[in-house]
Amino acid sequence: MSDTATRSPAQARAAPGRSPRRVRPATLARVALVIVLAVLPLYIDTSLLTIGLFTMAAVVAAIGLTVLVGTAGQLSLAHAFFLAVGGYGYAFLAGESGVAGASTAQGLGLDPLLAAILAVIAAGFAGLLFSPIASRLRGIYLGVASLSLVFIGEFCYENVRSVTGGFNGRAATPFSLFGWEFTDANTLIVAGVPFGRFEKLWELFLVVAVLSYVFAANVLRGRMGRAMRTVRDSEVAAAVMGVDVRRTKAGAFVLSSMYAGLGGVMVALAFGRLTPNYFSLALSIGFLAAIVVGGLGSIGGAAIGAFFVTAGPLLITRYSSSLPFISDSGSGGYDGGKAAALLYGLAVVLVVLFEPGGLAALGKRLAGRRPARALTPAPSTGASP
Amino acid sequence: MTVAPDVAALVLTDVCVRFAGLKALDNVSFTVEPGSLHAVIGPNGAGKSTAFNVLCGIYTATSGSVRYGDHELTAMRPHKIARLGVARAFQNIALSKGQTVAENLMLGRHALTRAGFVSSGLRLRPATREGRRHGERVREIAAFVGLGDKFAQPAGLLSYGDQKRVEVARALACEPRLLLLDEPVAGMNSDEKVRMAGLITEVRRELGISILLVEHDMGLVMGISDRVTVLDFGKRIADGTPSEVQNDPEVVKAYLGTGEDEADA
Repeated sequence: MSDTATRSPAQARAAPGRSPRRVRPATLARVALVIVLAVLPLYIDTSLLTIGLFTMAAVVAAIGLTVLVGTAGQLSLAHAFFLAVGGYGYAFLAGESGVAGASTAQGLGLDPLLAAILAVIAAGFAGLLFSPIASRLRGIYLGVASLSLVFIGEFCYENVRSVTGGFNGRAATPFSLFGWEFTDANTLIVAGVPFGRFEKLWELFLVVAVLSYVFAANVLRGRMGRAMRTVRDSEVAAAVMGVDVRRTKAGAFVLSSMYAGLGGVMVALAFGRLTPNYFSLALSIGFLAAIVVGGLGSIGGAAIGAFFVTAGPLLITRYSSSLPFISDSGSGGYDGGKAAALLYGLAVVLVVLFEPGGLAALGKRLAGRRPARALTPAPSTGASP
Repeated sequence: MTVAPDVAALVLTDVCVRFAGLKALDNVSFTVEPGSLHAVIGPNGAGKSTAFNVLCGIYTATSGSVRYGDHELTAMRPHKIARLGVARAFQNIALSKGQTVAENLMLGRHALTRAGFVSSGLRLRPATREGRRHGERVREIAAFVGLGDKFAQPAGLLSYGDQKRVEVARALACEPRLLLLDEPVAGMNSDEKVRMAGLITEVRRELGISILLVEHDMGLVMGISDRVTVLDFGKRIADGTPSEVQNDPEVVKAYLGTGEDEADA
């Protein structure tokens, strides 16, 4: 009796919709997943490590896109452009000028950590420059307007050679943290396994991805998250409730482009090299597919979706010899890339038809937490109970 | 019934709104005295909702002025008007249906809180403390309008009547000085109407704020209003106490027709 009496004020003090000081099973599952991922480099080979690095870069970028498209309701096809700003930005800021090897690319030779931070800020700044347009348009109109950035980007990648190295691309300086390099040069031995470039980058990327995830989840749970969702559902209602609609949309766009920029820096580090053809419209569309499959507006969904879309084709290609119906690449049949593209195309169609909330809603429904339908906006005619 | 200290008068002077050739509002003037419950009534298409949209900054008046205290509202963007303490409950429910009642109400606190992307994202102390404090207040408001037990439910799953109450509660969560209610009982059954009328009078008694009400339901309007403005085809045809307005021949004509000129419903 007295126990409940003393506890009820504490419960009343809790933020809406969250129970205080009790670790939820979903949180436990996430922590367990991170621990498994952290020890994975001890057991897997380099090609799987590379797939993991690209996947984690994609997870970060996809989280940014789901905040913009899923939460704020702003369609953007320019995500590949902001990845490129981050990636080339890092390569330019950290790179050395006039390195032997006949590359035309220049560089400022900054510390890699500083270069990475500045590259993310540069991507955010590029988003800010576009935000006068982004904040005045919505939906498909913004999607078409943002397409222009992809084409401007494609022109720049090939022609601003001092930054991008032109058609053949440029190398990206390996990362280093306070002088400690993420290369094979100073290999560590962890539990009997040599930790070279890929293993070290894996652990670095995991930290970055987890922090990106937590940051975005906190934003969505907070004041700006509510504002963005309301702007998506009704701009008029948001404005009348005191939300500066244009500012909120611009803020969502800048945040999303900074996430893309961070993803771009990660791609540069994972690949060690940047080429223009990577940052094509297909990359933007791949990210859209990822967040739709995962469930629009869900951070966890974006992460799962990014895994499917990025790791899927690479895994299928790697194991193509042991999978039925998949031919080796180049032999003319369905190679891994084509098969994976078909699979995620199919996944998008299935999700849109049967579970508009995506894998995130499916997961919640299987866990029996809340009715999945609640996540999909009902038609505006008052629904009966 | 005491009037809250910082409640100002809302004065509309010769407000005109034109859409291409249509005069949606034609030289409309009226005043909402501080702490009063003022109703605007009129047949469909009379310009009631247009008047609300001008007050909120969604439409720009072609001419005329809307003053709230020392502020001229016609030149302000909607969120600035909201920050003056003008809150609105929509006629066609404009809630975020996927968000919980709690989240919808917390949106009403937007102008009263500060947390931005960075402080929320990093869970800085001011942001979490602010969230907790305002969460408590919002819970009180939900209990006040009788939604305490539906606090954690998605708004889209509630009954129509409850969604209308969330609309009102969200407007109340802005801690308004002037509350705009756009047809709060439209589409409700008689039970829900009685509850809503009780809620409106209670809001007024407890908070001492001005309420501007647009409504079709004559029984409700005449029962609870201090003053009534009647619009027809964008023009003000009457303005006075409920009993004055009820007996005004112009009003009777607008509502019942004259016999020679059949008005369609």
